[in-house]
Parts: sequence; C-alpha cells; structure tokens
Amino acid sequence: MRFINTTFAFLILIGCTPDAIKKEKPYFLLNELQTEQTGIDFQNLVFEDEEHSIINYIYYYNGAGVATGDINGDGLPDLFFVANSGENKLYVNEGNFKFKDVSEQAQITGNSSWQTGVSMVDINQDGLLDIYVCAVSGLLDFKGHNELYINNGDGTFTESAKAYGLAIEAYSTQAYFFDYDKDGDLDVYIVNHAVHTNLSHGKASLREKRVDFVGDMLLRNDDGYFNDVSEEANIYGGINGYGLSATLADFNNDGWDDIYVCNDFHEDDYYYINNQDGTFTESLNESFSTISRFSMGSDAADINGDGFQDLISLDMLPEEEYLLKSTEGDDAMFNMQAHLKKMGYKDQYSRNMLQINRNGEFFTEEALLQEIADTDWSWAALFADFNNDMHQDLFISNGIYRRPNSLDFKKYVSSAFRGKSEAEGLKWLYNSIDKMPSGNVANKIYKGNSVNFLDKTGNWISNQPKLSNGAVYVDLDLDGDLDLVTNNFNETASVYENTSTESGNYLDLKLNYLSSNRNAIGAKAMVYSQEKTQLKQLFTARGFLSSVEAKLHFGLGNTTADSLQIIWPNNERQVVLNPELNTTLEIDYKSTGEMYASTDEKRDTNLIFKETNAIAYTHQEDDYNDFAEEKLIPYKVSTLGPALAIGDITANGFVDVLIGNAAGKPAELYLNSGTKFTKSNQYVFTEDSHFEDNAAVFIDIDQDGDLDLYLASGANKNARYLADRLYINHQGVFDKTENLIPENSAITSSLIAYDYDQDGDDDLFVGNYATQGNFGETPISYILINHGDGSFSKDPNFKLQSRVTDAKWIDLNSDGIKDLVVTTEWDRPYLFLNNQGQLTAVEIPEQLNGLWQTLAFFDVDTDGQKDIVLGNYGLNTKFNLNFDDSLLMYHSDFDNNGVEETVLAYNHNGSYYPLNTKDELAGQMNVISKRFKDHNSMAGQLVEDVLTKEAIQKAKVYRVDVLASGYLKNNNGTFSSFIPLDKEFQLAPINTISEIKLNSTNQLLFGGNSYKMNTYHGAYNSLKGLLLKNDKEFDLLSEFGLKPLHEQVKHLQVIPMKNENILLILSNNQALKTYSFK
Amino acid sequence: MKLHRITYFLFTLCLLACNKEKQPISVERSDYHAAMDVLTEVMIHDIFSPPVASRIYVYPNIAAYETLNSNPKNSTYHSLTGQLTNFEALHLVPNSSEVNYNLAALIAYLDVAKELVFSGEMILHYRDSLYTNWEKINKSEFEYSKDYGLEVSKQVIDWMQKDAYAETRTMQDYNIFNNTPSAWKPTPPAYMKGIEPNWNKLRPFTLDSASQFQPQAHPEFSMKLESLFYKELISVYNEVNRIREHGNESEEIAIARFWDCNPFVSVNKGHFMFAEKKITPGAHWVGICKIAANLTEADLRKTVFAHTKTSIAIADAFISCWDEKYRSNLVRPETLIVEFIDPDWTPILQTPPFPEYTSGHSVVSSAAAEVLTDIFGDKFTFLDNTELPYGLPVREFESFEHAASEAAISRMYGGIHYQSAVYEGKIQGVAIGKWVNNQLEFIKKNNHL
Repeated sequence: MRFINTTFAFLILIGCTPDAIKKEKPYFLLNELQTEQTGIDFQNLVFEDEEHSIINYIYYYNGAGVATGDINGDGLPDLFFVANSGENKLYVNEGNFKFKDVSEQAQITGNSSWQTGVSMVDINQDGLLDIYVCAVSGLLDFKGHNELYINNGDGTFTESAKAYGLAIEAYSTQAYFFDYDKDGDLDVYIVNHAVHTNLSHGKASLREKRVDFVGDMLLRNDDGYFNDVSEEANIYGGINGYGLSATLADFNNDGWDDIYVCNDFHEDDYYYINNQDGTFTESLNESFSTISRFSMGSDAADINGDGFQDLISLDMLPEEEYLLKSTEGDDAMFNMQAHLKKMGYKDQYSRNMLQINRNGEFFTEEALLQEIADTDWSWAALFADFNNDMHQDLFISNGIYRRPNSLDFKKYVSSAFRGKSEAEGLKWLYNSIDKMPSGNVANKIYKGNSVNFLDKTGNWISNQPKLSNGAVYVDLDLDGDLDLVTNNFNETASVYENTSTESGNYLDLKLNYLSSNRNAIGAKAMVYSQEKTQLKQLFTARGFLSSVEAKLHFGLGNTTADSLQIIWPNNERQVVLNPELNTTLEIDYKSTGEMYASTDEKRDTNLIFKETNAIAYTHQEDDYNDFAEEKLIPYKVSTLGPALAIGDITANGFVDVLIGNAAGKPAELYLNSGTKFTKSNQYVFTEDSHFEDNAAVFIDIDQDGDLDLYLASGANKNARYLADRLYINHQGVFDKTENLIPENSAITSSLIAYDYDQDGDDDLFVGNYATQGNFGETPISYILINHGDGSFSKDPNFKLQSRVTDAKWIDLNSDGIKDLVVTTEWDRPYLFLNNQGQLTAVEIPEQLNGLWQTLAFFDVDTDGQKDIVLGNYGLNTKFNLNFDDSLLMYHSDFDNNGVEETVLAYNHNGSYYPLNTKDELAGQMNVISKRFKDHNSMAGQLVEDVLTKEAIQKAKVYRVDVLASGYLKNNNGTFSSFIPLDKEFQLAPINTISEIKLNSTNQLLFGGNSYKMNTYHGAYNSLKGLLLKNDKEFDLLSEFGLKPLHEQVKHLQVIPMKNENILLILSNNQALKTYSFK
Repeated sequence: MKLHRITYFLFTLCLLACNKEKQPISVERSDYHAAMDVLTEVMIHDIFSPPVASRIYVYPNIAAYETLNSNPKNSTYHSLTGQLTNFEALHLVPNSSEVNYNLAALIAYLDVAKELVFSGEMILHYRDSLYTNWEKINKSEFEYSKDYGLEVSKQVIDWMQKDAYAETRTMQDYNIFNNTPSAWKPTPPAYMKGIEPNWNKLRPFTLDSASQFQPQAHPEFSMKLESLFYKELISVYNEVNRIREHGNESEEIAIARFWDCNPFVSVNKGHFMFAEKKITPGAHWVGICKIAANLTEADLRKTVFAHTKTSIAIADAFISCWDEKYRSNLVRPETLIVEFIDPDWTPILQTPPFPEYTSGHSVVSSAAAEVLTDIFGDKFTFLDNTELPYGLPVREFESFEHAASEAAISRMYGGIHYQSAVYEGKIQGVAIGKWVNNQLEFIKKNNHL
C-alpha cells in the first residue's frame, strides 16, 4: 500500500509517462537492477555433501566478499566477487551500470578450496590496484592459501602471494591493510577464525597462546615483504579467537590507527590501542562495557559529528516474534555465562551494539535505544550517507542459509542421534540438514540524522528476504550518490542503483599520498559546513569480508562546505578552503610541516573533580540468587544496597557517614573530623552482619539531642533477617532496641525522615519495595509517627500499596511545609500534599506507570519553578524493542500449585506476547510442557494463548506505560505534563539524582546502570554519569575529571569538609569512589 | 510395524469370532510389556530426568496392580492400599461380572501414564488403536473393563497428585552462585542447572522420610594431599587415565558405557550442542525386570507384581539418594580436576547435572537388585540386552546383585564419581531394597508362587 502511494507521488512529481507505470516496480532509494541490465551474473554457489556442510565447518554459510576499485584506470570502479568454493569473478565497469565479465582473461578465478574475504590494494604501489583474497586452508580438505593477484596493467593478473610473504595458510576471513607503524608503507592485519575444539572453551587466557591457522596475524611490510610481527606487537592469537571481522580507525584521535576485532561465540572482542611504538595494548575492558556475543561484521564512522569515530558490531538477534521463541537466545545462557565469567571472559549479549565514542576514552552502547539491535542474522554493517543529507545512514546485510540454532532442530537431532556411532551420527545429521529452518532475511537500511536511526527498510530498499553477506557502497555511475553491491549466498549478486534525483550536495575525495601509500590509506578528512563537521577516515576493508573504494564520500545536504581539512597518514594537515562541490576532488599531498593534534586544552580546565581515597570501602554482594528463587522475574530485588546515611553523630559540625552492607558484612560507620574520615567500630553492627542493609537514616528518636539510626533490611536467604532495626546512640555507641518499631519483613528501599505533623520530632516514611519470594506481591509502605518518647506507630490514615523505590519530602506548593513525593515500579509517581499531617494525593497525568527509580526537585526548564525530575529505566533496554504499547506483568498462580508466578508480556505491533521462552516458562510452570510439545508450537503465540484466557483474566495486571526518564513540569504548583529528558539520560536506568553546587550554580548529578537484570536483558551500563545545569546544558561527568561510571551507582553524595567537598560515589558490589572538589 | 501386525491379528481374530459367541479379550505379559515400551519411548522423547522418570514408571504400575488384584477372585496378592504412604482404600464396585481385570489393568496403566508425560498424545494414540480393536472383539467386555479400569486410575491419580510433585516444580533452583569450594558447580559441556534440587520433598512410597536411609557422610572435603578426599579425587584421575591408555576396547570402558544411562548427554557437532537421548538408570532396571519376567514366563499378575515392587523400590531410592545429593551438595571430580590438576581432563562419561554424593546408579541399582532377588531368586543368570536399541552390546550377569555391583563400579570407571559415593551408595540402596522387601506385603500368606 505504501509503495503504491509513494510511486504515485513520485510519478506526479517528475511527470512520468504511462509507460513507466506499466513497470509497476516499487520505487526504492536503492533499487536492485536486473542481471540483464548489468551483466553481473555472479552467484556464490555453495554445494554441500557429507564432508562439507555446516556440520563439519561452522562457517559454511558465512558467504563471501566483494571488492570495488578502479582496476583498469578508466575512472570507473570495477567489481570483484569472491566465490567460497567456485570461481571468483571480476567485472569491468563500462559505465551506466553495464559490466563486462573479464574473469577468464584476468586469471583471478582462485586456486584455494574455500575463499572468504577480499581487499583491493595497490600492494606494489605501481598505481595499479591489486587484489588480495583470503582463504581457509588446512581445515577439512581445504587446500591453498591467501592469494595476491598482482595487476599487470594489461587486463591480466599474476598470483604472487609468496613473493610478498602473503601466502598465508590459515583459517582467514579478511585482510585489513593499514600503516600501523607510520613508516609510510602498508602493513596488514589478517583476521583468522577458530573452530570448535575441546579446548576452545577453556580459560580466556588461552588467547595469549598463539596457535597456527587460528590466531589473527599482524604482518609488517619490510621493503615489500610482509613479516609476521604478531607476537612482538602484542596481538592475541589463541585457539579461542573466532574472528569474523575487524574495523580500523584512529578511535582515540592520537594520530595512530587502532583495531577493533569482532570475535564470534564466547571470546571477547579485542580493542587494540596503538602504542605508537609498533605495539598495541588490548584495552577492551577499559573502554567498552557491553559487547555483542556472536560478533560478526562491523564498521566505524563518526555518526554524531563530534570528531570521534563510533563503532557498530553485528550479531544475530531476530526481531520477528516467531524466531525469538523458536531459536536459542541469551535466556539459555545463565549458567554458561557464569561459567565463562569464571574463565575470565566478559559478559556478552547476542544483539548488535552501537558504540558511541566518548572523546576516545570510552564507548557508550545504544543500539537498543536506536532500535537497531535486532536485525537478525546480520553480516555486513556499512555506515554511509546514501541520501547525501550530511548524516551517516546504516546498511546491514542479512540472512543465513539454514538456522543452526533452531531449538526444535536441536530436539529433533537429539531424538534421532541415539544408538549411532560418531561416524553414523554425523552422516545422519547431514542427511537431516534440510530439517534446519531456512533463514532468508531482508537487508536492513536505516536513515541517520546524526542523533537517531530511522528504519527505512521496505522504503529505501526492498524488504524481500535474501541471503546477503559481503557488501560495499560505491558510486558506480559517478552521479554523486552511493550505490550498493552485495555478494549473495546461492543467489545472483545484487547491484542496487541509488535512484535519488534531488538529493543534496556532495563531495567525493580522492587523495594522492606518497609513493609508498599512493591511495592515502589511513588519511582522514574533515568537511566543515555550517551545520556540522564531518570526519571520515580512509580504510577500504569494511563491513564484512569486503572492501570499498579508496575514496571518501561526503553528503552535504543543502549546505556548502566552508573548508576541508585533510590529515595525511603522517598526521600533517592540509586545508582546502571553499572546496568545489558535487565532484570528485583529487587532492595531492603537499608537505605543510603542520602537524594535526587533537587538543585537550578545553578539558584540562574543566577537571573540577580530583580523585581521592577519603574512605576505603568496597561493597560486596552475597550469593543470593533471585533467579533461582523465582525463575520468571525480570530483575533481582536483592541487590538494592549499599545503604547510606549521613548525619553529624559526634556534633563536631561535620557530617559522618554510615554505609550499610550486604548480608554477611557489618554496616560501617565513618566519623568525619572535617579533614578525614575514621572508621568507628560498632559491636552491634558486627552482631547484625547477617542483615542486608538496604536503607538507613539518622534520626533523633528519643529526643536526647543525638542521632539514632534506623536500618531497613533487604532480601535474605534466612527469613529471620528481614526485619528492620533501630539503634539508639549512647554517647557514640549504638545499641540495638527491641519492639520500638513495627515489624517490617518487606524488602525496604527507602527511609525518609521529616517532621510532617509539625509536632517537633522527626517522623519517618518507610518505603517498601518488594515481598521476598513473591515478586508480583505488592508490599505496603507507611509513615511512622514519632511519639517523641522513642516509640513509633504507623499513621493509620496513610498507606501506599506499591513497589516504592525512592521518596523525598519536598515543598511542592510553597506553603513552607514539605510534601511527599514517591517513586515506584509498575506504578506511577505519587505526589502527596501535606496539610498538617494529612496527606492528599495530587493529580498527575494519566499513563505514567513506569519503572521509576528516583527523583529530585530542580528547576530543569529554567522557568523559575522547581520541577520533579524522575529517573526511569530509560530507553536503552531490551524492553524498548517491544514497546508498541504498555509492558504488562501478570501475577497469579497460573499452574494452580499454590505458588504465584509473574509473567511479563510485551507489545509488538499491537499484540501481547510472553517475554519468556518456552523453556523458561516450563521451568516454572510444568503445564507449559504439556501445552506445547515443541518450541515451534509456542513460537509466535499470544500471551493469552500461552497462559490461557481464563488464567489471564484471573491474574492481577501491572503496567509500565513509559520507560523514559524525564520531569513533571511545575506549572504554578500543578504537575500536568511529563517531559522526557534528552537521549543522553535514556541510556540506562537512572538510580540516583542529587544536587550539587559547582561554580556557584546548582546542578544535578545523575548516576545509574543496572546489573540486576536476567540474561534476557544482560547488563545495562551506558549511563556513565551526567551533570545537568538545565534541560539544554548537560554533559558527561567524565568531562569534569570523573572516571566513567560503569557500575550500578546507588548514591552520589556530597559531603562538605573543612576546606573542600567530597563526592561519594557508592555503588552496588563495587569499591566506593571518592572525589574532592572546591 | 509391530502394531500393524497386532492389529491385523486382532482383526482376523475378530472376523473369526464374529459369527460365533463373543471371545474374551486377552491381555497377557507381552501386552503389558508393549505398553511399558511405549511409555519408555515417550519418556525418551520428552527427556525426563532420572528422578522424574522413576515417578513416571511407578504410578502406572501401581494402578495396574491395584486393578488386577481387586478382582474378588484373586487370592494371591494384597492390595497396596494402607501399605504405601497415604494410599487409602479404593472405592470400587465392579458394575458387572463382565469386567476383565487383565484388560482393566492395562487400561488403568495407560490412563495413569498419559497424565505423567508431556507428550500424552503419543500414549493416547497407542491406547486408541488398542481400544478400537478391543471394541471389535468384545464391545461389552471392553466397555465394562474400561469403566472399571478408569475408576481405579482416577483414584490412583488423585492420590498421585498429592505427592508434592506439582509444588516442587515452582520451588527454588539450585543456586550456582554458591562459592563454597566443596559445593557442586554446573559441569561441561552444557553447564546445565542442578536437576531436581527439591526431590526430597516428594512423598515417599514406603520410607518414613526422605532421610530415613541417610548414608554416612562422605570424606571431608579437602584439597590437602594427605586427606582421604583428595586421595579419592586423585584416584578418579589416575584410574580414568589408566583406563584411557587401554583404549576404547577395554572392559572398564565397556562397563562404563553400558551403564551410562544419562539422558542429558550433550553432543557437540560443529555449531550444534544437543542432548543424546538415552534411558535412565530406572529404565534400565525396568528392562532387567522385564527380562526376568520373560525368562520365568511369568503370568500377567506376577509380571505386574514384579514391576510394581521394583519400581516402588527405585522411586524411593531416588528420593533417598536425591535427599543426600543436595544435603551434601558435593562437587564433581571433573570440576576439581580441571581446576586444580589438569585443565584438559575430561571424564570417560559425561558428568550428569547434579551433585556427586551418593552415586544415584549405585543406590538405585542396589535397591532394585534386592527386590528382584527377592522375587526371582538369587543366582538368576540373564543376558541383559536393555541397551541394544541405544547401540550398546549385550552383557551377561550371574545375578541381579552382580549387575548392580557392575552398575555401581561403572561410575568410577566413567570418572564421574568418587569411591565413597559408589561404596556408600550401594549400602544405601541395599538398605532401601531390604526395607521395601520387609515393609510391603504383596503375596498373601497362604499362597506360594
């Protein structure tokens, strides 16, 4: 329907003849051309037999690459296609999308048994592009080696890999040419892949032991001969390195090129920082928090215009509901992940990762927020400006011939494998290979605007399912827009013509550098226009198994470029003012002697925070496992700590600090002298170390002028330790009391003291969060009225049944008396106006049920009135992928066995599906195994069909309507609109917001992240700490001297000292961090 | 194929009978065994863990036994009501003298069985083909017998459903975050979660409680070279290495494989890891009971009696063994050897996904052998072909005890148990078998078989 409309509109616009209508072809920005037109009939045909299939070789369906470049010097880019086991083909571009097959004459059809990636590179710097084809050799009966076809300049090529030291015999996937040591010539990084062996599941340190065939290689060009320098350059080459792609870029803008290597399966990806001395330092853990598990293709580009190149790595998470439930996903990885962690591997998640580069120091991942995380079985990622609007778009090639992770195939195999010998079994398995479901998937394309990506699949490109692997962008017809070519599996290769007619200005750059690197591989170019600065770096091997032209393409939209800056591989800069547009600019290197340096001057002046070690404390969680207790809950309720209370215990004018610990460890009290903290040992805390401390507050209970302590408890293996506790201060020694406070066995999240009845003593709001062992059961929160004699009773007129996460007493209506604001999960924020101890709920907008975590009272929109700032889960979680309507949680005894369960259901295209897989549901409810005999029969079923309508009708339902963090705007005391905060605030759950005065301006500190989630989610840790002045002025805390906060931050607390301030950053299961500032 | 032949046979029978008076429907030992085989097939298809499999075998047998022996003319066997925990007298009034108790017993068996598996429709499919034929042979006898059999099965199911199985489905998983060095950890290659950590909460059949036959504690965990525990650990390592040197044809490897009976074996082929389906230890002993019944040409009553008694012993053995497994929660040799001794080591058999002490196969085999000896006698020589369908050879045994001892030691050869688990497991199993023999009265005093 949409196609017809679009076509119609288009026809009217260009006033087309009725002849064109007859074609009835949908209009796409990237329109696939027919073989009859292009002459490109290449097919990567792959044949299977008993010895050769995905059963014997895990990467049998990975496909092959495509390379483009001007082979014959006629100015038109030609195309080279790799065939895995057939003959490679070279097509000469004759213009106007006509190509001539010159393969036979060229002698490039290939001699190796199994070929993979391809790069065009002028290896001998004779001005003619040569071709380097990777091969898998030494596996099965695969013979041969990586081949180098030297361009003879007469239409023929001569295979000469040996002469260059490039006749590598290994399981190679792709070669990446670059000048890592800045000696002027091109070196190469070759990605090789591992195969499954008994040992490949061993410790992560296996990567340090180089293994032939499998280990990646760095080869240094020594006067035209390539020597293996992997060991001395600190390149890993272990048996566990399932390398499927690499991406080259100067990620940290230090002028030296770095390498990101995508590893499949359990091996971590590698992030090699160039040490500028011929060696690299692998720094994945320092710079990346979240990486893809089955990393496949990748690419880098500066997508947000901040001058730093961002990175995408692809994985295989499907979007389609049926596939999500019929193929194996992250949910099955709980035990395996725990094991791999012990072996030294990083937690990885099966989804695409978009890593935004933060000043070259670290990356924040946001593919879930961008909704580009689940593109199914994805191979090549390519960032390019397809519509010339000066923003990077994203193309992703897709499809797997057969899906080996089909759950029912696994079960089917299990049923039939028994009683067979190893050889018979393999034979049988091969004969059953057709039972594996096929996995044709449409290629995806996303339109970028430098902030977000918008799915244009079906609009910019056909959404017909295909099997596409290697891919390149290239302007084949020199009309100023990028066309697209893919190498397809068992299908004819695709050539997509970019049909945009009214797209914006563009600038193509062809750079000519020194004779040792004529094509200026590694050069950067910055195009400056009014709206944006674009940066690109010239590397040809990109995406997956493929290489693009040694040219840079910039779209400019309706703007022109003021200037252009080239940073040559030797880091000399060269500026071109007012470059000519809409043409290919050829720029020759001229030595200017002027070196480019990315300056950090601005940042040094901003380093407000200085790291200190004011209190040496580490929070360590106990081994309580919520997911063993209740298998279907979405996140833990047992890791809410540590608790924090501050108060001037010693009455010396400086606030002291109490940190409540996890079960098994005593709370710790630190006394503040004004210049330093000293730990005060308290016998009762040691005695009560079995309690998990979730919340703490200092409050003068007995009206004796000193501060007493209320400690609220969290989840515990032993139900004896669920109760809250009250400790009375006797001259600095705390004594436990009995029976002064009402029994509270709920998991408590918050304790907020205030004299709300204005009778001269502090009362206490007790916020309860969860009921241990019954996630869906909502506890009751209450206010304890202080009777002034050390005893408390619950305010009979106030009770709140909700999952309370945080609360604050704040004066909402400026009557001088504080009111109560409460945040909750699976419920809305609550505002209670306080009229002399009578609390009345205030109206707020509908549809505000969220996973609210915390709040602050602050004038965000600078209108002179303080707004209620609310921390939610944010938009960068897996919940965001299926959030076409509210998220639901059903609570009931679904299998009638006397125990209640919770089941989450998400909305995808208007229908509700269970979040959990069949195996997970059956693990909690036996009846599911009876209801659905196999995975396919449950896959794609609505939640009401899975649980039955009757059961759902009986269940209690909780909703989440909004995931974004934002603020309730204060409009003269009414709070009638909710306004989401900027994208930066949506990158992970916000757990704490606190006010800080910097440069005499009040600002807000934001901390967050979550390691509480089950394996369906994984960890959310992209919120690295933010500082907000107002809704338009905010920045990363790392800009001010703080290290990025990867941890699950619980408290950001400022403590005034005698001559400075201390910022405490208290996180779950992590060491306390302290910073000083003036 | 086999079914078709039976169908044809019955059909022919019916044709012959049609003109004459109605023939009685015959149900004999082979029919009972055929139904058991169907149940075993479904269990393999659905992949049940060994403890759950023991429960699936026992209840249909009890239903068949009770049906068969509620025949007022039966003077040989006692009802088990009042003998098994909370199994109260059944309310049964046969509505006709036409009830064929053999037939009703088989109907009750299948009706209970279908409740216990996931793929109940596979059993229904089998049942329906039998029903169709019985109906043709003798409709009224079939109808009366069916009503009667289903009445028994309904009451057995009622009792069965109160055994806390449903409740244990929702109970806690094993907590893999337990970092105590001696605590069980998930094992390669699939790192499955611990199977049935709450099995001791099930209602036992004859035991006072799950812990009635709590074995003595295993040697205290210690990685000190001189400790008994470490000696047992290193002897697993050395023994497996020694056996490996002898190669795949060695007697020890043959024994280990024969008694593997691990339905959770994961196979790694290229991209794939999947379960290699096998029968459970309980199923193996059900197979041995079958062999014994066939060798002695037992009639249906004795066949059902033997299976019922054996499966009760096996079910209680699993409850007792699993109680100890999660009490002592001992780490498997593979975990320790790979971590501390030899990172490349693998056992000969795949380590099954539950704690080590005591050896389930040792407990269950010993209990079953005690009961079978009581029924069929000592010195009972037999060829065990139970594992033939799973690609394993036939083995000959001189007695049930001989087979049980070999099953127990096979776990040492396989590298998945320490010596104490096998030794103490045998003691535990023998005690349970004797208890079942002493506790349950099957044969009425004045009868001798």
